[in-house]
Amino acid sequence: MTSRVALRWVASAAVLAAAVAFPFWASRAEPYYLQIAINVVIFAVLALSWDLLARTGQLSLAHAAFYGLGAYTSALLTLRSGLPVPAGILLGGLLAVVVAGGLGILTLRLRGIYFAIATLAFSETLRVTTNQLRFTGAATGLVVPPLLGGGRVAQYLVILGILLLVIAISAFVNRSRWRYAVTAVRANDEVAATMGVNVVQVKVAAFMVSAFFAGITGAYYGHVFLFISPIEVYSLAVSVGALVAPIFGGLYTTAGPVIGAAVLRVGEEILRTTIRSGYLIIYGLILAVVILYMPRGLAGVWDALWRRRA
Amino acid sequence: MSLLRLQKLTKTFGGLVAVADLELAVEEGEILAMIGPNGAGKSTTFNLISGLLAPDEGTIVFDGRDVTGLPPNVRAHLGIGRTFQVMQPFHDMTVRENVMVGELFGHSVPKTLRAAQRDAEEICRLVGLEHLMGRDVLGLGVADLKRLEIARALATHPRLLLLDEVMAGLTPTEAQQAIAVIRAIRDRGVTVLLIDHVMSSVRDLAERVAVLNFGRKIAEGTFEQVARDPAVIEAYLGVEGGTAH
Repeated sequence: MTSRVALRWVASAAVLAAAVAFPFWASRAEPYYLQIAINVVIFAVLALSWDLLARTGQLSLAHAAFYGLGAYTSALLTLRSGLPVPAGILLGGLLAVVVAGGLGILTLRLRGIYFAIATLAFSETLRVTTNQLRFTGAATGLVVPPLLGGGRVAQYLVILGILLLVIAISAFVNRSRWRYAVTAVRANDEVAATMGVNVVQVKVAAFMVSAFFAGITGAYYGHVFLFISPIEVYSLAVSVGALVAPIFGGLYTTAGPVIGAAVLRVGEEILRTTIRSGYLIIYGLILAVVILYMPRGLAGVWDALWRRRA
Repeated sequence: MSLLRLQKLTKTFGGLVAVADLELAVEEGEILAMIGPNGAGKSTTFNLISGLLAPDEGTIVFDGRDVTGLPPNVRAHLGIGRTFQVMQPFHDMTVRENVMVGELFGHSVPKTLRAAQRDAEEICRLVGLEHLMGRDVLGLGVADLKRLEIARALATHPRLLLLDEVMAGLTPTEAQQAIAVIRAIRDRGVTVLLIDHVMSSVRDLAERVAVLNFGRKIAEGTFEQVARDPAVIEAYLGVEGGTAH
């Protein structure tokens, strides 16, 4: 057990060092890799923040809603009122928090598939509305000012910092008393309530934290790729991507969603560049096989391997 | 002063009256059994007391305080603990961790994880789960799941413990063990209100019995008193020439 803990620390430190050093190498060697790396980290933030809410048993399809809200809030604030980009990104995240608070209270009684449908409807409503509003650039979208003057290395380090923050929050939740609260609420919220857990607080707080990271990540996305449109940022693909990675990597863990996001995004990129047409079929097949035969994801396989050795 | 007082408690579901004008007082330190045919409103009463349901009318007074409008988690903090008839262990957690939830969140004073673990283990020993503390809840037998229900409720350090059919499905030996555990709990100063259909257990355990039928209390007294009560006999067996339940 102790060797496992030690190994985990060493591995984490090595991955962190590599992640920090990576852009300095990539920006000289192959800038295209840096672009992919930014995508991977965005995906990882979305996946892990989605998982934070999933730990309370709520299967959300609203990640696209908060991603889009953050993207549009920051884009409009920086474009129309000349707010600095970092402030815009932060406000994008904060608006997502406020909206999540309201939506969380409204959907409190909904569970499972009903909650999923309500959150999907919310996302779609925002997409359709934004598509119609002239104020938000309608279907044409908006051209967005760059973060940090467009420097890719600095931009990468910003999103890496955001990822480290979600990782810290996730690790804290899983090691503190809150793990007991969220796991109990996920298993049965009525029983949890009669054992003293404030179910409303746990669910709404998880929703707000989860939405904050979706919001700032959406805002960040706009200021890095310099263009946003409703069909892109309010896309169901954002919500689905955010839930596929944790399922693939291992739900309710810190490492699972992050590793899942990295493997999926890099794997998708490799498939895309090696298979000319129809790469998504292969991608879908791999996903289906993993979800069918590894119900606890990559983290489950890892645990099983360790148990066999011990 | 009674620890718990239900006053004119009424709950209807659509047209169905589940609990009607129910008056009940539970005295500090006693073991009171609530019995009655299926559908008499016993479990609904538990849901009203623990706060999972809100009554249409009436008040629930716990320890001199009107708790009718308070959410279940606050009632747990005040000292109302309960088990569930259908066992509902928290999955993805060990037996010990299940019990720790109550230790961590069941009272207003925050506990460290270490203290919660220590106290949860003590409760596991009290109910006879010490050999299963590290086990996942999946694969636990009925008797152990019932023990876990009791342990989790105890972990909130209740002053009033509501036991919903903890004897159902137990072998006679297991039921005897459960009776001993419930007595031990009471001897620690916990007041017990229990629902049960196993009459021998009710007789052995309860100092007083309240009988419900169609949401109303039809009798109250010692086991011997209610067993002789014509209204009770009628509720259980039906009137001669009438329809039996």
